[in-house]
Amino acid sequence: MLLEVDNITVAFGKVSAVKGISINVRDGSIVTIIGANGAGKSTTLRAISGLEKLREGQIRFAGEVISDLPPDKIVGRGIAHVPEGRRVFPDLTVEENLRTGAFLRKDLDQAEADLRSVFESFPRLSERLGKNAKTLSGGEQQMLAIGRALMAKPKLLLMDEPSMGLAPVVVDEIAVIIRKICAGGVPVVLVEQNAQLALRLADYAYVLETGRVALEGDPDALLDDDHVRAAYLGV
Amino acid sequence: MVELLAQTGLNAIYAAAYMSLVAVGLVLVFGVLGVINFAHGELFMIGAYVVVAVFADFQMPYVLAAAAALVFVGAVGVLMERAMFAPLRENPLGGLVASIGFLLICQALVSVQFGVRMEHVPPVTQEVIVISEKVRLPVHRLTVILASIALLSSLWIFLRKSKFGWALRASSQDREAASLQGISISRISIIAMFIGGALAGIAGALTAPLISVNPHMGHSVIVAAFIVIIVGGVGSLEGAVVASIAYAFVHTVITTFWDGVIADIVGLALMLAVLIVKPTGLFGTADRA
Repeated sequence: MLLEVDNITVAFGKVSAVKGISINVRDGSIVTIIGANGAGKSTTLRAISGLEKLREGQIRFAGEVISDLPPDKIVGRGIAHVPEGRRVFPDLTVEENLRTGAFLRKDLDQAEADLRSVFESFPRLSERLGKNAKTLSGGEQQMLAIGRALMAKPKLLLMDEPSMGLAPVVVDEIAVIIRKICAGGVPVVLVEQNAQLALRLADYAYVLETGRVALEGDPDALLDDDHVRAAYLGV
Repeated sequence: MVELLAQTGLNAIYAAAYMSLVAVGLVLVFGVLGVINFAHGELFMIGAYVVVAVFADFQMPYVLAAAAALVFVGAVGVLMERAMFAPLRENPLGGLVASIGFLLICQALVSVQFGVRMEHVPPVTQEVIVISEKVRLPVHRLTVILASIALLSSLWIFLRKSKFGWALRASSQDREAASLQGISISRISIIAMFIGGALAGIAGALTAPLISVNPHMGHSVIVAAFIVIIVGGVGSLEGAVVASIAYAFVHTVITTFWDGVIADIVGLALMLAVLIVKPTGLFGTADRA
């Protein structure tokens, strides 16, 4: 198992946002976490990246405990995180944003090659190389955020609501990109409000409700589940 | 009249030069650490006292004293980061209060060591460039101007061209997103505090032979620096430099033709006007306000 989230609890003051969640990610797979607002999806992802401290439980990556490391060390272990709301650096250029993603890398030649391949995957970014990130459209910023995460050469990619606020055409593009990333050997943990999209992409799915795993299993099975259909697919 | 204006212009450029050094450091620290360092003026003051100790008392070369101020005050900045700002990382208001405490400690320590009297730093050079009968530029003032330009250009190149420069800018734009790129917030905060301290220290060291050095000299500098930062736009280094220049010109012109107190009032009034018309400052972005 590449990533093992083992019965974690995260609390803000007296309120627990995540109450004993366990999630496993195996190599070569897309795992999705769906659920309503406030179900604890983002908090789980942020806990994996070290942005939230655990009250209980443990997170292991490639067999090693990472839940006591600061975020920058976790990036060093090979987990990249595309945060909710994209969070590109607004006053850095597209190129500087991407190079910042490679901050920890020592293999500079390989990083240059990866930069070129990001531009090949996202031709619209290469057109805007020298522009500040804040001048990009929402879809372009999302691609920049994904490209920036890929520049870290991750072993696992966490994505928090990549479809948020994007036009349907762009969402389709993002879906293709996520498939490509996984096919390229980087497993993905995808947090989504857009359950339709997430279940279509994923190999395995978790449904969170009020900080707990309510359901988990094969996405196709969940697509047929009456509760999931009523609560998350609106059918 | 033309000569008076020319002389005032030269004075303003000098004031803008050292003011920029102080303001840019303060902006950098606020951007990266998210803390308003009220003791930034005291870092300027300590820089001046390093010159008092090394150059005036121990009679070492002035260049050595200035270099010592740069390194020593940079180190004081790092000490502040480790001792105060790091433990209060999630509590910017606590950081601000701690910095006010640090300010008082600095003033007290310097008073105990050097006394509260004004220190006289002997002139480094008496030479004056005579442009015309009434337009004169003391060589030391020219040194301050050139050194400031050199330091700010180096900083600019560092921020644009180096990996750690990008990391500093990225951290000041979005600290959490920066940590998700593998940038260590601790390390980048140390770097920011070193640079901020070093710039304030060298500004104090450069101006020490030209102004009255006393334990409370940081006060006027920090007030001016705050005005400059608010006018320029909190978080914008370019804005801080441009606003320093604008403020220095306005302040110097009014001081020359009317009065220093009126100049202070006009400075504050300008800040208010900018806050009313464009609350993010002239160069600031909305989410930084």
